[in-house]
Amino acid sequence: MSSKKVKVTDMSNNKGQLTELNPADFLPLPPPYDKLELEPKMKPLTPDQKQRYECDLDGIAAVMIPRPKSDEEKKILVDKFLSGLTKLFNKEDNWTFIQALLLTMEYCAKCQTCSTACPIFEESGGKEIYRPSYRADIMRRLYKKYIKPGGKVFTKLTGDDIDVNWEMIARLAELTYRCTLCRRCAQTCPIGADNGLVTHELRKIFSQEMGIAVKQLHEVGSVQHIQKGSSTGMTPLAFKDNVEFMEDEVKERTGMDFKWPIDKVGADVLLLHNAGEFLAWPENPEAFAIILEAAGISYTLSSDLLGYDGVNYGLWYDDVQLARVALKHIETAKKLGVRKIVLGECGHSHKALTVIADRILTGDYNIPRESSLTLLADIVKSGRLKLDKSRNEDIYVTLHDPCNVVRLMGIVKPQREILRAIAPKFREMTPHGVENYCCGGGSGFAIMPNTNFPDWRHSVAGRKKLRQVLDVFQDVIGPEHKKYVCAPCSNCKGQIRELFSAYGVFERCNILYGGLVELIVNAMTDIEKPFLEWDWH
Amino acid sequence: MGALQYFFYLSVAVLLLGLLYKAIKIARMPIHLRWDLYPIPHEKGKGHYGGSYFEELDWWTKPLKVSLVSEVKEMSKEILLIQSLFHHNRFLWLSSFPFHFGLYLLVGFLFFLLLGAILNLSGIVIGVSSESAVGVAVHYLTLLSGLAGAALGTLGAIGLILSRVFKGELRRFSVKADFFNLALLLAVFATLLISLVTVDRDGAIHRALAGNLITLKPTGEMPSPIPLELFLAGFFFLYLPFTHMTHFIGKYFTYHKVRWEDHPNLKGSKIEKAVTEYLGYKLSWAAPHIKAGSTWAEAATDTSPVTGEEKKK
Repeated sequence: MSSKKVKVTDMSNNKGQLTELNPADFLPLPPPYDKLELEPKMKPLTPDQKQRYECDLDGIAAVMIPRPKSDEEKKILVDKFLSGLTKLFNKEDNWTFIQALLLTMEYCAKCQTCSTACPIFEESGGKEIYRPSYRADIMRRLYKKYIKPGGKVFTKLTGDDIDVNWEMIARLAELTYRCTLCRRCAQTCPIGADNGLVTHELRKIFSQEMGIAVKQLHEVGSVQHIQKGSSTGMTPLAFKDNVEFMEDEVKERTGMDFKWPIDKVGADVLLLHNAGEFLAWPENPEAFAIILEAAGISYTLSSDLLGYDGVNYGLWYDDVQLARVALKHIETAKKLGVRKIVLGECGHSHKALTVIADRILTGDYNIPRESSLTLLADIVKSGRLKLDKSRNEDIYVTLHDPCNVVRLMGIVKPQREILRAIAPKFREMTPHGVENYCCGGGSGFAIMPNTNFPDWRHSVAGRKKLRQVLDVFQDVIGPEHKKYVCAPCSNCKGQIRELFSAYGVFERCNILYGGLVELIVNAMTDIEKPFLEWDWH
Repeated sequence: MGALQYFFYLSVAVLLLGLLYKAIKIARMPIHLRWDLYPIPHEKGKGHYGGSYFEELDWWTKPLKVSLVSEVKEMSKEILLIQSLFHHNRFLWLSSFPFHFGLYLLVGFLFFLLLGAILNLSGIVIGVSSESAVGVAVHYLTLLSGLAGAALGTLGAIGLILSRVFKGELRRFSVKADFFNLALLLAVFATLLISLVTVDRDGAIHRALAGNLITLKPTGEMPSPIPLELFLAGFFFLYLPFTHMTHFIGKYFTYHKVRWEDHPNLKGSKIEKAVTEYLGYKLSWAAPHIKAGSTWAEAATDTSPVTGEEKKK
């Protein structure tokens, strides 16, 4: 079957894999990646994996749903899905999003404008199953058939009918993990329908009703976060050890010898990092500590369970888990008596705690939350740091806009004001700001290593971002020029790290990635040696 | 009064009640969690580049700066010109714009017909030879809006139907109901256009019809195709509330109550009061990590069933 002509109703067939993925179909990349041989290989699933896991959508098993062993088991799963669907449209079970969801279900005109905005659909070479409206049309047909009165009769008359079987539901489960929830599609919709929301709500059926979620998001994600204190598995004791290590490293790299404030009651600010930073990019929290120390900000870190890990994976798949984690974050701040919580360079924790959880934080749980980008811009503009932009003069810098911070929160200017003050060779990608493209690791993708999903993430989901990076540096693409992608978001950095590694971007083009604070510290005149360690990346 | 006239009254009643029901139903739904999407035009001084109050240090200590003018300007461009389609899907805009603008003009046509009918009742003659300037103006405005609206609508509807037939990405997602909706509107536009260029070139018959309808007088004999036109318009009014074509109502909510709804939950606010009630709603989700029957407040604070082990036992 030609994947370009796949129809919505084909989701229910039992003919095996619906769409074949071939890198030759993907949109060609700019130089030096304009040769197909430089395209990373996409590993097919092993026969054993194919037999064990549902993968009949596109040959990728991101969710790793075990194949049911009998028709009876399939029937139970189908019934559970339909039960979850009903709850999605019940105000008690889903007051959190029912209004927005219902509007999207009722009013789509199927104009396909959303498809023009989706980087995954576009970069895949127009694979029909990746259209934002493809997923939404399935959901809409289910809504019309099972939720609206007389739906089973009317959908036959109108042509909106869809066969519901396990094959369709299993493919749909995978399909909900082919969208990064960047909501670029919603931005272009003339009616205001939101296909990103459809993905979000479908993931909730699987998690909240069927107990099906990606292991890294749920079991070793939000569950581990609540139980151990961090989705990384880091315990409070390990966190303190990490801080000690980072204090030593700061001393070694900068000569600055100071203790990081931990559990300081009455501090003005609780700084909430993504704990992944401590393990993967300790230079980021180190740079934060240097800046806040130099600027004289009254702040503290927390060693309470969850108090040192600002992630909230519930945002991507489960409202209950979202609420649990958000409340724990607030309780940490309450205990310390801080005036506000400042979110470190982590996009989804920005959105989860500042915007999405805003309305569940009632009474004394309503402690103000703020972006570190705002605070940092204020520090830089106030002159509290001694900065010399010429220290970044040899680096061509571009800015990646994390969707959660920019399109979904409207924080656009502060990071640019900082970069203009510290990076003489700063240049913008096209498009940027609220029209930016996702890094390809959004909605949990960056932490999903299952089977061959990372191959798909590099080659399809991250392709647009790689294209943007190559395009913006095209005139200086050779390795003789130092280039830096400033990505003030842990999740985006995780994706860019894997993306650059898969394509050998550092080796071939000398493009480094990192956060914003590292560049700020690199421009601080109090620090003798460059903070950015170009050769140790 | 004939059956057609009763049918038309019924249709109008269903239309008005249906639209009201839909609007109330949506409006009375629980306030959802925030789902902002930027740019938000009412962010004063920031809307043009997509900025928000979150860019301000200690934003909660400052008054929110809102520009209603910017919001109305943006909404007007969206409603009148369908600017998102113009920017992101120019091919479809070429049909969609005349289609929708034709509809707007026909709303104007209805308005001028009713205005003309009322003026007639109060003794003002409507027509080129009227002694009243208002009578002349209403005559021309009626004809202009009717003819232009019907013509643009006809062209737009034909364009949309052809797009759905011949453009693969539209055809694959179109169902019988989509074609029926467009065909119905094409029939409404076309019959009006035909009647205005053949049997009612000065619009007087339509105006008399409007007068009879609002004064509950029998419409009497009407030349063809006006009875068909009245039937089709009635059928459209009757059918409209049951379709996605009521997106002009939905669009208000999707823009103002979802993507542009950025009110923070401040202490003591209406939002906080409403949410406090919702936190008492009981959950029936069946996954192992959620204790069925617990309220939202209990589920969010009691993390004991977080692994689901308890429920599995």
